[in-house]
Amino acid sequence: MNEILIVGGGKIVYFLTRMFIAKGSRVTIINKDKAECTRLARALKATVVYGDGSDPVILEEAGAGAVDTIIAMTPNDQDNLVICQLAIMRFSVPRSLALVSDPDNEVVFHELGISAFSTTRIISNIIEQKAGFEEIANLIPVGEGKVTLAEVILDETSPVIGKSLREIDMPYQSLIGYVLRGEKPIVPRGDTVLNAGDRLIVIALPDQYGQVISLLTRSS
Amino acid sequence: MRYTQELKHRYYTILAYVGFIFILNAFVLLLPLTALLWIPGEIGLSAGFLIPCALSAVAGLLFWKVFRPRAYTTLSVQEGGVIVLISWLGIFAFSTIPFIIISRLTFTQAVFEVVSGWTTTGLSVIDVTVTPKCILLFRSIIQLFGGAGFAIIMLAWISGPVGPGHSIAEGKSEQLAPHVKESAKLVMMIYTGYAIAGSIAYILAGMSTFDAINHAFAAISTGGFSTKPDSIGAWNSVSVESVSIVLMILGNLNFLTAYILLRGKLRLLLRNGEIHVMALLLPLGMAIIFFEVSSLLYEPLGKAVRVAVFETVSSLTTTGFSTVGYKEWNALGFIVLISLMLIGGGTCSTAGGIKQFRIHLLAKALWWELKRFFLPRTAVMETYIWQGENKEFITDRRIREIAVFIFLYCATFVIGSAIVAYYGYSLRDSLFEFASALGTVGLSVGITSPDAPVLVLWAEIVGMFLGRFEFFVIIISAVKLFKDILDIAR
Amino acid sequence: MKKYKRLYIIIVGCGRLGAYLANRFSHAGHSVVVIDQDMESFEKLSFHFSGFKMEGDATEVQVLKQAKIKNADLLLATTEHDNINLMVAQVGKKIFNVPRVMARVYIPDREDIYRELDIETICPTTIVGDLVADMYAASFFDDNLEEGTS
Repeated sequence: MNEILIVGGGKIVYFLTRMFIAKGSRVTIINKDKAECTRLARALKATVVYGDGSDPVILEEAGAGAVDTIIAMTPNDQDNLVICQLAIMRFSVPRSLALVSDPDNEVVFHELGISAFSTTRIISNIIEQKAGFEEIANLIPVGEGKVTLAEVILDETSPVIGKSLREIDMPYQSLIGYVLRGEKPIVPRGDTVLNAGDRLIVIALPDQYGQVISLLTRSS
Repeated sequence: MRYTQELKHRYYTILAYVGFIFILNAFVLLLPLTALLWIPGEIGLSAGFLIPCALSAVAGLLFWKVFRPRAYTTLSVQEGGVIVLISWLGIFAFSTIPFIIISRLTFTQAVFEVVSGWTTTGLSVIDVTVTPKCILLFRSIIQLFGGAGFAIIMLAWISGPVGPGHSIAEGKSEQLAPHVKESAKLVMMIYTGYAIAGSIAYILAGMSTFDAINHAFAAISTGGFSTKPDSIGAWNSVSVESVSIVLMILGNLNFLTAYILLRGKLRLLLRNGEIHVMALLLPLGMAIIFFEVSSLLYEPLGKAVRVAVFETVSSLTTTGFSTVGYKEWNALGFIVLISLMLIGGGTCSTAGGIKQFRIHLLAKALWWELKRFFLPRTAVMETYIWQGENKEFITDRRIREIAVFIFLYCATFVIGSAIVAYYGYSLRDSLFEFASALGTVGLSVGITSPDAPVLVLWAEIVGMFLGRFEFFVIIISAVKLFKDILDIAR
Repeated sequence: MKKYKRLYIIIVGCGRLGAYLANRFSHAGHSVVVIDQDMESFEKLSFHFSGFKMEGDATEVQVLKQAKIKNADLLLATTEHDNINLMVAQVGKKIFNVPRVMARVYIPDREDIYRELDIETICPTTIVGDLVADMYAASFFDDNLEEGTS
């Protein structure tokens, strides 16, 4: 059973906790606001601890020493940094993740040894790239934002229908990782021909992303 | 009783620093003797400088030794202002001596010339054709040092108990670097660089070495004293005029702007409000003068263009070099020049006038008012301008301070012009001459002369002094000084 | 004759400690940049302060870069919030290689972690606490002695 500790509050923490619990994990939440704690405690089957998650005493009380994962989701980057650092150094928590608001801090946190993700960057990616690309779903930055993963559905107007992978001129560092045809996942090879209705799992560098999508979906 | 005791001690410290400045001033009084390199024959006149030099040095040493604070004393901004006031009055006094002894000016005339020099105005009551070279050099030197804000640089340098707030007292608070000494050092370096480059440029343009140095000093300090009665017009040379224009514009740039320019960060300059003002007013002024004035008065067309360009730059930058007389100019030309003189140069530079920054800010404030009408009623609008690399958010208080200043400026302008007009001069001449004095410009329609009425000269002297120090420092320090003297005497 | 060197010092947080340090260092001749989110906090700076004042959130890397942190000789994090101080100190030390970095930390428990990360911290709580305790510990002893002899 997965033991998860989340520091933070608000709707996102609520829904996240609900999801984790549904998947069978045990969740503890630490929050600084009394009223918020009460709300969360009433709504969720999770342990809610009232206190400052960046205080080692509170972390100890909340059982940080025994959790598998800690997610620092307070609104302040600096608090999330301290929480994760304490988790790793004092409590040896195996997996820790910090939320950052300032996209520049993603890199900073990594250099300080903390895994971080930036909602700002995710949202801006979605907005930037989703505009006009209705066929695209689930855009995910992975590998610290260095690589983007996306699901592209080919409709009848796609210019690559009927072409084999070899014939498609994909930019140098991008590839089609998987093709989902109906129920079947296909690992594509050079001679795999694409059909309408195929769902492609595309892996590309963020700055080539637009180009790749254009290639696959716009009829020239 | 105790209050007076304490006040006396504060004044000891104040006078000590005044003494320090007097000692430095003694060196300035010695510098014109380098003119002997050109005219060794003038050595007989050297007493005219050695005497005040000695007096200044002695007074300075006396004040410094006697009043030197034994313990560490911090001074307030107001006290810094008093130091500024007393120092300048003392410097003026010492500086009149050479003029009285050598050029045999009356007291009023000497004070006028001295104040015109130190405030970098450039209006003159002497006949330069009969003036010894050492005096001419002296005038240029005091413009150079006056422009640099002699007192402030020195005090920032020692930066003792009178902190950097003192520079605010002189009306110049600019931060080029994160420490006042560094900023002062940079300002000095820039200024010295200008002086050297300017001198060389003038020599290359065809001036004699003596003239080149004098005019370079006068140009970068936006002073405007010349060794020739016709000013730059005497050379009638495109290259001399071009060098002048470049130096005048450089001199009127805010030191921070100049620093940014020298570091090559041109992109930042594009956002600079004062650059916008210059970019608008200079071409506009030149165009109006060209089409409506100079093309009708001067032949050939090239000359008309040159006049339009030169006079516009000279008046906006408040330098005061001229290439022509103004007697035949029409009213429109006068309106343009007077407006430019009133608007003036950049803040925190050697220039005078209301200053482009204030004009820019008020113009922006007008724009924001208009914009406000089109925003949703409950919208919050944050109003800012660019200062160097940072945004500065403008408060209502700032705008109020500027509005009050401009009011004071205009009121003084009207009163001063009235005094001049009282003596029978025409409207346009009175307005022109006083705008020139108040803005420390230096262009003249001829009212300023050795036989001008005494009261007119004094009105101009007061105008130059108030204009250079932007009123408040002088007024507040004078009031404080007056009150304190009364308190101590009681 | 000690050679005087002008340092480039960045102070994050213009509270009482930050302002005090800023005034003192600027007056001593060093180049000082003070960063604080609240413009009004700069009013605590004295007449002698001649450094730069920057309004901004020092947890944003942009802000630190604007303050030219790469040139800093000394970085002092003195905001009211331990976590901000700790983050700024680490960013300064590890990312920008500022030679000396110090963070004020109020909660004693956090100090050890930061020692491990090689960040100098100063904890007013323990420093003052220890000082006071020592003051009274001494007098406690004297009383005892008196009683013993009577």
